[in-house]
Amino acid sequence: MIRFRNVQVAGETEAGTRPILTVPDLALSEDRISVIGANGSGKSTLLKLINGLALPDTGTVDVDGLDTTAQGAAVRRRVAFVFTDPLSQLVMPTPLEDVELSLRRQYRNRTERRSAALDLLRDFGLEPLAGQSIYQLSGGERQLAALASVLAVNPSVLVLDEPSTLLDLRNTMLLRRRLASLPQQLITATHDLDLAQDSVRTLVVDNGQVVYDGEPAAAVSFYRELAAHVAGSS
Amino acid sequence: MRGHAHLISAYVAGSSWLHRTPLLLKFLLLAGTGVVVLALPGLLPRALVLAAVVVIHLAARLPAVRLLQPIRSMWLFLLVVLAYRWWADSAAGAAGVVAGLLACIYAANLLTATTEVQRLLDGLVAAVTPLRRFGADPERFALTIGLMLRSIPFLLGSLHDVRDAARARGLGASPRAVVQPVLIGAVAYARQTGDALAARGLGEKAAD
Repeated sequence: MIRFRNVQVAGETEAGTRPILTVPDLALSEDRISVIGANGSGKSTLLKLINGLALPDTGTVDVDGLDTTAQGAAVRRRVAFVFTDPLSQLVMPTPLEDVELSLRRQYRNRTERRSAALDLLRDFGLEPLAGQSIYQLSGGERQLAALASVLAVNPSVLVLDEPSTLLDLRNTMLLRRRLASLPQQLITATHDLDLAQDSVRTLVVDNGQVVYDGEPAAAVSFYRELAAHVAGSS
Repeated sequence: MRGHAHLISAYVAGSSWLHRTPLLLKFLLLAGTGVVVLALPGLLPRALVLAAVVVIHLAARLPAVRLLQPIRSMWLFLLVVLAYRWWADSAAGAAGVVAGLLACIYAANLLTATTEVQRLLDGLVAAVTPLRRFGADPERFALTIGLMLRSIPFLLGSLHDVRDAARARGLGASPRAVVQPVLIGAVAYARQTGDALAARGLGEKAAD
């Protein structure tokens, strides 16, 4: 269970410091949750608060009772984060080495570690590419490699920040299928309204606030109307 | 970003005798090269060490072209060192210093080009494990060194890219036009790497 209490995050603007996200009270327990909203609405900040990549200026965020500010390391071992750009996520030269990096604390023995890494890459259909440079992989393959590396640490919650933004249709479908099969709790921020509906609950974030929270189809309709209204008035 | 701007070579997959040599021996070869270069000034001994390291490189069937990479990356630095030592000492002394520098870089290349990063990290963890009783975290230490090794090619590639971009705008001679973007890029890279590790809960204190 993820819980936000009286959370406010402030940001520096030309006009001075102002709140960029305000969440009075929010509990996230469903296993598939999506977050939609315009660029700059506060989606990414909301997601980063969940694993402590961003910290609240006021209020608290806790995951299974662990405070993200006071117990950040313990939270990050439970909550993994997938970035929009997989090249920001992959820190080693090949998918195999990157997954092995994630597995270092679980497997001290190199042979066992390699075997576990190859098993995981095989699950993602990436075993033939295990030793290739991450720069030689397609966008979809990179995103899957980043996902494999993140899942290797066995998180109980997976937070994904616009995971399909850089992918073509085929790779987006591949990613959606892969995500659907995961046992973890998934919280996904996305502009892809089809991907958003692969959830049981959808939050619409606008101007730093959760303005709608409910069933995905209704949330998407609300968001379309909101976007049309904003586009019409500008 | 240019992937070829490597001072220290990335791993070259292979099964040569040097690939199979235990990590400790390869490390001793690197340390020994440094000690000999420092202990024996002069052109002849350093040229012999350089020749020996080059022979090992070729005997391990590593691509000969990799021997040119450090020279391509460092030619200006080597030229300055050569000119200064020639002026301050002698032509032979200057050549000896450059030969010693190249010998050390090639010896470091032998280690990194024939040892996978994970194996290198395992070796570092084993070396640091006795310090655990003093509060050291071997995994964090190894991760730090591993990331440092990874960052060298990135920073060199970034330097080349920025220099090319500056030249394209006629700013090639301005150090500010090169140094400032490289520094900003380095800070951004460090933050990005930190976030990437935090995203997986890596690099945190084991007991936290």
